[in-house]
Amino acid sequence: MEHTVNSTRFGTIEVPEEAMIDFPAGLIGVGGRRFALLTREQSGAFKWLQDAEQDDLALPVTDPFAFFPDYEVCLSDDEAERIGIEDPAEADVLVIVRAAEALEEFSVNLLAPILISRRVGHQVINESPAPLRAPLLSGLAEKAS
Amino acid sequence: MLTITRRPGERIMIGDDIVIEIVEVAGTTVRVGITAPRSRLIYREELWERVKQENEEAARADPNRIEGLAPPGERRTKRGKDAGRPE
Repeated sequence: MEHTVNSTRFGTIEVPEEAMIDFPAGLIGVGGRRFALLTREQSGAFKWLQDAEQDDLALPVTDPFAFFPDYEVCLSDDEAERIGIEDPAEADVLVIVRAAEALEEFSVNLLAPILISRRVGHQVINESPAPLRAPLLSGLAEKAS
Repeated sequence: MLTITRRPGERIMIGDDIVIEIVEVAGTTVRVGITAPRSRLIYREELWERVKQENEEAARADPNRIEGLAPPGERRTKRGKDAGRPE
């Protein structure tokens, strides 16, 4: 079954059911209860979380492990219980991307990642120390050096 | 804003299911205990504010800046077996 989602950025798009993600608590401070995870380009590094109701609410996201191979997400016991994910390794992890003029200036929010399990998503606070604004390419530069 | 004076060990009820307890007062620091249904998210305000602002900034992204960027060469599609576990 396909869902029709309207986006100010991408127009009217048909989204397969498996790409629709419920966020029972929304994203911190910006809300949203249901998002479409859009893969605009198969070979691209980024996807978009497009809100299903608010046409103009969309955030770019990426796979943190592609850029930060040593990244880890730890949850407090309360948080794990709340979202029903005991081990973050069981969930798909995405981080929100802050785009800029140049790729070197992009950053990702490693402090508040998104965990998705069984098509339910939660933005959580990472108990493992991680920056709110990690330069996107810094993890790879560190690894290469 | 409602202002209530409380002593350590005393509590405030918000509705029937949220309990705020003043645990300890030491100098300029107050320790507060909060009991609330699991569906109520609790954050330190400054952390919530920073994440909110970061989300809002991310939501201003222009697709033209982002599309066409390929993932890094050593992309790992699977996480390490220890990913997410504390040391």
